[in-house]
Amino acid sequence: MRVIVAGVGYRNLRDHSVGIAVADRLLDHAWGGDVVVEDLSYNPIAVMQRLEDEPPERRFTRAVMVGAVERGNRPPGTVAAYRWDGVLPSDEEIQRAVSEAVTGVIALDNTLVVTRHFGGLPEDVVVIEVEPGVQAFGDEFSESVARVVDQVCELAVTMATDAGAAARLPRGPLGGARPAAAGHGLG
Amino acid sequence: MCFKNLPIEFDAQGKPFLRAGVADPYGPSSAGPRGAPAQLTAERIEDLLKRNGYIKDLDFDPVTRVAGALAFHTVADFQGRKVLEARSMATLFRGYEVIMIGRDPRDAIFITSRACGVCGGVHSVTSAMAIEMAIGCVPPPLGILIRNIALALEFLYDHPLHLHLLAGPDYSAAMVGPTNPSLLARARSAEAPHAEIHGFRTIGELMEDLNPLSGKLYLEALHMTRVAREAYVLICGKYPHPQTIVPGGMSSTVTLTVMNEMFIRLAQFFDYSKKLAAIWDDLTEFFYEANPAYKQVGARRANLIDTGIFDHPDAYDATYASATAWGERRWATPGVIMDSQLVTTDLHALNIGIEEFVEHSYYEEWSGSGQRQRFPTDPVGNPLSPYHPWNKVTKPRPQGQNWKEKYTWDTAPRWDRQAMEAGAYARLWNTAVARKLPANPFIEATGTSLKLRLPKGALPELELEWKVPAVWNAFERNRARAYCTGFTALVALNNWLAAMDRLKQGDTRTSTPFEIPKRGEQRGVGFWGAGRGFLTHHLTLDRGAVANYQIVTPSTWNASPTDRWQQPGPYEEAVLNTPLLEETDDPVKFKGIDILRAIRSFDPCMPCTTHIHSDAGVITRK
Repeated sequence: MRVIVAGVGYRNLRDHSVGIAVADRLLDHAWGGDVVVEDLSYNPIAVMQRLEDEPPERRFTRAVMVGAVERGNRPPGTVAAYRWDGVLPSDEEIQRAVSEAVTGVIALDNTLVVTRHFGGLPEDVVVIEVEPGVQAFGDEFSESVARVVDQVCELAVTMATDAGAAARLPRGPLGGARPAAAGHGLG
Repeated sequence: MCFKNLPIEFDAQGKPFLRAGVADPYGPSSAGPRGAPAQLTAERIEDLLKRNGYIKDLDFDPVTRVAGALAFHTVADFQGRKVLEARSMATLFRGYEVIMIGRDPRDAIFITSRACGVCGGVHSVTSAMAIEMAIGCVPPPLGILIRNIALALEFLYDHPLHLHLLAGPDYSAAMVGPTNPSLLARARSAEAPHAEIHGFRTIGELMEDLNPLSGKLYLEALHMTRVAREAYVLICGKYPHPQTIVPGGMSSTVTLTVMNEMFIRLAQFFDYSKKLAAIWDDLTEFFYEANPAYKQVGARRANLIDTGIFDHPDAYDATYASATAWGERRWATPGVIMDSQLVTTDLHALNIGIEEFVEHSYYEEWSGSGQRQRFPTDPVGNPLSPYHPWNKVTKPRPQGQNWKEKYTWDTAPRWDRQAMEAGAYARLWNTAVARKLPANPFIEATGTSLKLRLPKGALPELELEWKVPAVWNAFERNRARAYCTGFTALVALNNWLAAMDRLKQGDTRTSTPFEIPKRGEQRGVGFWGAGRGFLTHHLTLDRGAVANYQIVTPSTWNASPTDRWQQPGPYEEAVLNTPLLEETDDPVKFKGIDILRAIRSFDPCMPCTTHIHSDAGVITRK
């Protein structure tokens, strides 16, 4: 199993930076297996191209994608983890995602849609979302999000190193099988 | 004399002065622009809507395949197949000016970069230029050359993105089929005149490959954005928000190896530029021939403005006093085109002619009775309007939308009171007509055209010629953008050769040390440009901190609302002139493709225009 653990978000945007903060922390983790940790917080087309650059025999077999996603229907600090079923939205929505990608929008859903559509993502994708509470400039998390950062790191490590762990997660569409704490609810 | 509406005249030495005897030269009752179109009044529109069932509201919210949040309101006459009212709405607040107040000016380079996810580096450089003018710091020659190349590489990302990812799908089989089936049928049997360059036998084949997500041209454009991005990263470290831009040049280390690696990528754009020009020539001529009414789609007066870009290292001294001189030595000449005629190439005249109005914008006036005008003149004593960016104060005031009152977060910049359009095409037009290009073997300005000699690649060497168009519309914007790719690649090539010469001579210095003065007040302006055109950052420093910061982007001009004289902004004017040529009378099936073609031809960039910031925080996505 070759795994990429990726943080997606904006730096210095308080709770919306949680994916990057997790990736930063896990860079120093003593990984036992073949795990690469990266900050994929950039144009999803470039992310797709970066994933495609791996030689065929070295392609990632699992992606653990971590980021803040504001669903708005769950309390701040909610952690939801799920295996993405990989089902894409309509072509019109994908076009919109590409337009946003090339014009600078960085968002976890967008990154997943664009990289899946163009074939950059592995089949096995674990998504770990954190519901943000505060959207403002700054490098401090809100209390709700700060409380779960360690747990998100642990969860990402488990999903990256335990081949069977992801199988125990619910499989669902973008956003998870059910909106609130339906996945691996840790919040 | 370049001003027809502002009360500014010029003395025998060409020095501008305020006309004597004008009591309130810039006041609300001052003269409006002569010959400008005007929107119908809201009352007239309401009356037409009430009395005629075939006149309907037609709203686009959001306008998709553009950068950021743009909404567009029209009232369309489905019987007369025309648009009666057009209102352009930037739906998010522009707040970078507010964020910048009180900060160290060096922060501006990195903060304003975030105004845009495409042209972040462009904002960084514009900001650095404003600072270097304010503090008196001149980049070394290699720093200037590398900055030019970096800008060109950003454009080489941006132009394909516009042509084949954002605007291009409007001309694809997937879009033309449902909206104009007879046109697509005709395209399938229409031979493409430039097949030997772009490889498409018929226009129909070309339209198929413009299809979004799957078309070869769409996918190729995605690839080419990567090539440009890689080249940019080699010399700037990071894209789209470089950390290597500083007042006085670039902080990156540039070596012969880096330059060669970068050139391998740049060279790929020589053939690609030939192909783009051939594609957009063939598409444009096909539409014109199929139905000459397409010449009216997105049509408006050719009123264009551009600050010029790509400095000459022998000329640029970062001073405002010499801006006229160094501006005219640029690889893209500054200028104003008014009703298709070049009226000035002088950066001073260009600067003092700018005013920004907020009658229909969600801002409070900052000028009026009892309020002091901060700067009555520019740094060399030329008169300035109280509505000039150096005098502007950003005072956001959210409120309900009302066509008679306020309806957008964009302001209404005007030059000599006229609604001006910004775009890559303005730089082609100015440069072609002004004939002030530095001597070089690749680009020739003829006075009516630009000749572009593109080197051999897989395709043979080819001379393209962009001709100043007889009509100004959506198709010509896209065609010019395609030619601008070749122009940009050749400017990069010229600057690459000059930079290589410097390196060979052992001149590796890319920046000049500087200090931010801690005393007094200084002013600066960055005159630069995005892929989409015109960009200025006007800066005032007070005791080492930013006292005022104003950004005017291409989309600030283009997306601007109707002004105090009822003159529509460029999108609005272009849409008002657009005939509805879609082949359906069914409002349910109606897609408004011609209106969308008109708007998208400007390449709207609303994050630049509105700078997505709210009181509650930064909005990353809506």
